[in-house]
Amino acid sequence: MNITITLTVNGRRISRSAGGHFTLLRWLRELADVTDPKYGCGEGICGACAVLVDDVPVSSCLVLAAQVDGSSITTAAGLAEPDGSLGPLQRAFHEHHAAQCGFCTPGMLIAAAAMTADGRPRSRAEIRAGLHGNLCRCTGYGPIVDAVEAAQKTAHHAGTPVSSAAAADHGTAAGAADHGTAAGAADHGTAAGAASRGAGR
Amino acid sequence: MFTRPFRFERVDRLADACELLRQHGEGAKVIAGGQSLLPLVNLGLVQPGVVIDISRASDGRDITEADGYLTAGALVTHARLATDPLAGRAQPLLGAATRLIGNARVRGRGTLGGSLAHSDPAAELPLVMVALGAGYELSNGRETRGVKAEDFHLTFLTTALESDELVMSVRLPTLGPGWGWSFQEFSRRDGDFALAAAAVLIRTAGGVVVEGRVAVGGVSDRPVRLADVETVLSGATASQIAGRVGPIQGIRPVSDTAASAEYRAHLCGVLVRRALAEASQRSAEAA
Repeated sequence: MNITITLTVNGRRISRSAGGHFTLLRWLRELADVTDPKYGCGEGICGACAVLVDDVPVSSCLVLAAQVDGSSITTAAGLAEPDGSLGPLQRAFHEHHAAQCGFCTPGMLIAAAAMTADGRPRSRAEIRAGLHGNLCRCTGYGPIVDAVEAAQKTAHHAGTPVSSAAAADHGTAAGAADHGTAAGAADHGTAAGAASRGAGR
Repeated sequence: MFTRPFRFERVDRLADACELLRQHGEGAKVIAGGQSLLPLVNLGLVQPGVVIDISRASDGRDITEADGYLTAGALVTHARLATDPLAGRAQPLLGAATRLIGNARVRGRGTLGGSLAHSDPAAELPLVMVALGAGYELSNGRETRGVKAEDFHLTFLTTALESDELVMSVRLPTLGPGWGWSFQEFSRRDGDFALAAAAVLIRTAGGVVVEGRVAVGGVSDRPVRLADVETVLSGATASQIAGRVGPIQGIRPVSDTAASAEYRAHLCGVLVRRALAEASQRSAEAA
């Protein structure tokens, strides 16, 4: 018995009829052609399928599409600027070489967006803790932590949120002290960044 | 990914799920956060015919405090338990344990009632409830009954729930004056299942232990209260506590790919002593 499920995905309203057993991930990938969330483990461990459902991070493989009918979904692609150019997190991942094979990247971006949504700058330790539900088998995590750190610095410097999910709470952060200087942001591919790269998790 | 199709039903009230459970019989499964059920479904270990969604029910979300007890509805998520100011103040052991569950995505969707009904022997919440002497309200939509946590968790993934019953709410004692608490667990990586865990509550007066509650998880088919340890604690000063706790009795750890039974038993003793030390310290500070 199929059910018509309507979701707003990255601002676009999509209706598709699906079996009640369809997970959100399968609905997105197979019916809505939204393929940036990936199927990794199917157990909620790897985080490759992470999306925001009404701004809450979820494993889309562990939610039935029918359960969240009517919700707003943000995938990694939805973190882009309205004009389609890269958003602050996406750009920082690119600049810091935070993706190698790229399979974990959509989930890493979502975890980063969820973690930084309140606009409060996170320490490196907090960033690592915030990423602990997302597995990467290429990078050793260092460049990903660098990217999240850099993204929040650039965003705060420019007075814009790291992700659109941050919009609601950003008022406080924008008024806070200026966290990134150009020099600080440029530091990361050097000694400090390189050292952390070998540290794993 | 290649799930056998099932039918999806949504209810607006928890009690309505009980009626559907009676209608559909054995092939029906209840889903709330889905963080325990859907991994099993995705792995093909559970193949339900009907899945009854209670995640959008209007009831079961209250957290209240009255007469020395905290009551929380079955649909309260782990994330909320971990951050709720009332729950955190009334019984800090609860939030401390909840923050160790899975990852942010699991905590965001996983529910109190779901974790208890799933009854994984390594799960944090059943252990906390046994340590606290919590009670669960169960309902089949017509009648409700109360069951003590210790009588509810029977063995691996098996509870005292009848086939048409749901956990509706949980009632647990708040932290009394002079009590200290601690939750300790060890897992091979952050967010993984605990190889062993210990939950402890201690009340000291004049520098000696007056009473304590000690329970461990991950080392038997269900959370176990350690009455022997509780007995020997009585009258101990902070520095005497560790010496009074010998090898932990009454547990039945298993060997698997993660750890041997011997290692789990060893960990259990280490974690109990750590938890006792921290709880007695907190109790001394509270006095």
